[in-house]
Amino acid sequence: MFISYSTKFPYCFRLNLCVRKTVNGLHNVIALRFFKNGPGLQSFSNPTSQGLPKKKEVFGKKGPISYKTLLVTAGLSGSLLAFMLYVRKEKEAAIQLERNRALGKAAISGKFNLVDHNGVKKSSDDFLGQWLLVYFGFTHCPDICPDEIEKLVKVVDNLDQMKGVPKVQPLFITVDPDRDSIQSVEKYVKEFSPKLIGLTGNKEQIAEACKNFRVYFSAGPRDQDDDYIVDHTIIVYLINPDGEFVDYYGQNKTSENISAGILLNMSKFDQSKHSFWK
Amino acid sequence: MSFPDKEKRQKCWDSRDRYWECLDKSGDQIEKCVEVRTLYETTCPSQWVKHFDRKREYLKFKERINEGYEPLDEKKNTKS
Repeated sequence: MFISYSTKFPYCFRLNLCVRKTVNGLHNVIALRFFKNGPGLQSFSNPTSQGLPKKKEVFGKKGPISYKTLLVTAGLSGSLLAFMLYVRKEKEAAIQLERNRALGKAAISGKFNLVDHNGVKKSSDDFLGQWLLVYFGFTHCPDICPDEIEKLVKVVDNLDQMKGVPKVQPLFITVDPDRDSIQSVEKYVKEFSPKLIGLTGNKEQIAEACKNFRVYFSAGPRDQDDDYIVDHTIIVYLINPDGEFVDYYGQNKTSENISAGILLNMSKFDQSKHSFWK
Repeated sequence: MSFPDKEKRQKCWDSRDRYWECLDKSGDQIEKCVEVRTLYETTCPSQWVKHFDRKREYLKFKERINEGYEPLDEKKNTKS
C-alpha cells in the first residue's frame, strides 16, 4: 500500500506542479477541469466553488420548498388558471353566438324603405349603429297602439336616464298606408314623444316592411263613415346596431320587462364585439 | 279623415269606462245605461264603439273562464 501510494504521490505531485507552471497564466476554470478527480484539490483550487457546500447545507435544512419555487409554482398555476377561465369565457361566448345564429336571424331581416314623418326617405340602413325598438300600428287605432306606444316611450325614457347605456331609437311604422299620410303620422308621433320617429310609405313599401318583420296586417270592413280598423301583429321588435333582429316583446310584457330585456341584449352584444378570436 | 287625437281618445276612453261601470252596476242591463251609452257613442268613432263592445264581451268571457266556467257544461245543462 505504501509503495503504491509513494509511487502514485510523486507522480501526482509532480503533475500538479507541472500543470501549475504551465497554466500559470490561464484561467482558474481550466485548472478546475484538470483536477476534477481530486476531491481535496477541487475546493482548494477553485475559489468560486467555495459557496456551494454552504448552499447545500441551507437546502438540506429547509427542504426542497423555498420562496423561489413557491413563487414560480404560484405564478405558473395562476397563469394557467387565468388561461383556463379565459378559454371557458370564449367558449361560452361562441356557444351564445351559435345559439343566436341557430334561433332567430333566419326569418326577420328587419329591412325597410320608407319615408319618415318629416318627409325624408329613410331605410333600415340609415339606422345602422343604433339600437332600434320597432312597433307597427296605425293612427286610427282604438286602444292597443296608443297603449303600446306609451309603453315604448316609457322604456326609452327609462333607458335614457341610465348612465352608460347606448341610445335606443323608437320607431313607429304604420300598417295603414291608405290613411296615414306623412302629416298624419307626424301629428300622431308628436303626441307621444319628440324621440319617436314615425314611418310611412306606399302600399308596396309598407307590405314589404311588414313582410321583412313577419308582421301580419289586414284592414277590416269599412263602415258608413268609411272608417275601418286594421288588425295587426302587436309586437315590439329590438334591432341591434348591426341591423339584426335580436329580440321581441309581446303585449303582455311590461315596460320594466322590456327595459331589462334590452339591457341583457346590449351586454350580450358588447360581449360578442369584445371577443378576442373573432 | 283625420284620426282622433290624444284629447279625443282620452274623452272616448273616459265615456267608455263610465258606460262599462254602469253596466257592471246594473248587471248588464243596457236599458238602464242608455244615457251613458249615447254619450259614449257620440264621443267615440262608431268603429271604436264596435271594437270596445266586442272587447267587453271578450273580457267578460275571459273572466268567467278564469273563474272556472266550462262552456261545454252549460250546453249539457240546457239540454237536460
